[in-house]
Amino acid sequence: MDSNMELIGRRDFIGMAAAGLGALSLGLDGCRSPQKVAASDWVHVGVIGVGSRGQHMMRMLLRVPGVRIAGLCDVYEPRITEGRGVTGEQTAGYSDYRKMLEARDIDAVMVSTPLGLHAEHVVAALESGRPVYGEKSMGRTLEDCNRIRDAVRRTGKMLQVGLQYAYAPWYREALASIREGKIGQVTQINSYWHRNNNWRRPVPPGGDVKLERLLNWRLFREQSGGLFAELGSHQINFANTIFGGMPESVMASGGIDYWKDGREIEDNVHAIARYPGGQTLQASYITTNRLEGAQERVYGTGGSIELTHTEATYYQEPWYPNSAIPPEMTIQHKLITGPTYSAEQPYHGKGKIPVKGAASDADLMACQEFVDCIRNHRRPVADENAGWSQAVTVALCNQALKEGRKITLAEFLGKTASS
Amino acid sequence: MQVERRAAAGAVDGNAACLRRAAHAAMGTEFTAYIEEAGGAQERACFQSAFEEIDRVERTFSRFRPSSEIARINRLAGDGPMVTDPEVFNLLAAAQDVSRKTGGVFDITVGRLTRAWGFAERAPHLPQAQTLEEAEAATGWRYLELDPAWRTVQFLRPGMELDLGAIAKGYAVDCALGVLRAAGARGVIDAGSSSIAATDEEFATDWKVSIANPADGSQALREVRLGGRALSTSGVREQSFVREGWIYSHLIDPTAHGMDPGAVARQVLQATVLAPSSTLADALSTAMFLLGHEKGSAALSEFPDCSALWAYAEGEGAEFLGHNWPDSN
Repeated sequence: MDSNMELIGRRDFIGMAAAGLGALSLGLDGCRSPQKVAASDWVHVGVIGVGSRGQHMMRMLLRVPGVRIAGLCDVYEPRITEGRGVTGEQTAGYSDYRKMLEARDIDAVMVSTPLGLHAEHVVAALESGRPVYGEKSMGRTLEDCNRIRDAVRRTGKMLQVGLQYAYAPWYREALASIREGKIGQVTQINSYWHRNNNWRRPVPPGGDVKLERLLNWRLFREQSGGLFAELGSHQINFANTIFGGMPESVMASGGIDYWKDGREIEDNVHAIARYPGGQTLQASYITTNRLEGAQERVYGTGGSIELTHTEATYYQEPWYPNSAIPPEMTIQHKLITGPTYSAEQPYHGKGKIPVKGAASDADLMACQEFVDCIRNHRRPVADENAGWSQAVTVALCNQALKEGRKITLAEFLGKTASS
Repeated sequence: MQVERRAAAGAVDGNAACLRRAAHAAMGTEFTAYIEEAGGAQERACFQSAFEEIDRVERTFSRFRPSSEIARINRLAGDGPMVTDPEVFNLLAAAQDVSRKTGGVFDITVGRLTRAWGFAERAPHLPQAQTLEEAEAATGWRYLELDPAWRTVQFLRPGMELDLGAIAKGYAVDCALGVLRAAGARGVIDAGSSSIAATDEEFATDWKVSIANPADGSQALREVRLGGRALSTSGVREQSFVREGWIYSHLIDPTAHGMDPGAVARQVLQATVLAPSSTLADALSTAMFLLGHEKGSAALSEFPDCSALWAYAEGEGAEFLGHNWPDSN
């Protein structure tokens, strides 16, 4: 069994799934004042990649008591200036990440560079002996993901992958409800991230092709994982967590069908992933309509949960004689059929899951977790295993899209390993 | 986002640049951006980035969004000092500086007061006396303790709530203009006709901004050249109600206790400010509205390069009084 196959064993599936409900230090607001943070607990972070996402995450890190941004690295010089605007000080700037990693005043590294560079930057940061927060996806290709996972194991340094919804209270509560069987047996998840946006960033006049490719890296194959990676990562991770592992096969479709502006990655992609337990993830990511927005619907035999970026809503499945609602649920919840219900009509009941702490910002919680894991030598929920599982699923979706056929995970791992 | 093409509003002979216009709903108003034509994809990208920046500011500073940093501060700062990021800290400090220099009429700790008066929910009403008393007890810029050494925020009175409604839209304009400048774009951003500013002075030299009749928003009474300064207007037209001949506005003076809106609020219909930044113009337009011409003019001595124009009720129309107001029609 090669190293890739080892990771899709049932035991690891369970382990990965359990990671979705792993220990979280959610009471971090209890220590909100930096005066109370011991000098030895201060965390000085170096940031590789100071674009819009990097700047956003820097703001989140700076809301965590006892954190300072000690280094900014970007190959595009204006980003260093912008980054200093975020830190509010003359933070050391670097155009070469290797120079920044030589600096002694950096305790941890955040990598928020284009996806195709994650492996190079994350591995180098881990090998420099620092814990790393690496933005999602963990890596663009299976080889990238393997390099990163191997570096974590080799160095023994902690990697937290930027799957921040793993820390969102409403996601966690939804997951707990699902685990408790509150929506019965989950058979399908439909995930949408539908936006009406060409996804293009402005490029300063006079910029050459290289600058266009640097600032709009998401549109070009060399660095991008396309919509499956940029939009689908969180939802795919959630599906993997609920279904207890990775899909056994994926079929996908998509194309450059509207934004024919020289981009190389598809402007709409769709995948159907089949999981070992007979469940299905149906994922759709488009850039020409936002009616659905970003949401995922988890369908169980006894109910459904709809998740967005701000809340989770529970819909109870109305009972009728031939439904798949488990008998114990009909007793437990005393469900009765409604006289106007028709199986052919969409059903939307009412009732939100009461989620404690739903007000929290998922990115801030992920940053709090990162710092807490560093201080207390804990393993993060979104660790290298969760990240590997999610990122390789994305890579599998992209492979199915590229080949235009159904591909099994075993085939993908074997083929890639042999190549 | 609707993108329209039109000639520059302030174009003069030989300088008729073509502009593109797009609008975006955010922060309870509609932001409009006008940028120089630069080709389809680049224009759309500029609009998109500017509007995303405005959305980012809203996500950070809205008191109504539970996941915003201001909402987090409102939840936690009463329990002790809490750290926030430099951007948030700096805007709170800037707001407190305006409070200090305007005798406290501009105050971002009015969250409880705006709720008590129903303006926060856009359902204004006279508050119960006890509700008002409790809200006043939880209001006061001096009780917002900012420690720059540790970048911490703390409420020194229980129940305090921040409301940055009188400064955040102006700040959003400044931030969005920064995004346009970084992209090499030139243009103007208008936050719901209340705050307006340009990427650069040269671009806006010939832009004339009409100042509406406070009694009839469709009627322009004065014009001013925008240039490199930002312009902001605050007035009773936006949110107010009348009881027994008194105008109760959403612009609340925390130094005026009780339900009497004060003589100033009865007379001033609108205040317009020109300032070096949209953030400052936004904050000062509220302060100037509440202070009126006489006290406001005195307060403006603390703010170099700022001008103000007040509109007072005068029969069916309005009488304008200015301070350092440019005569540039």
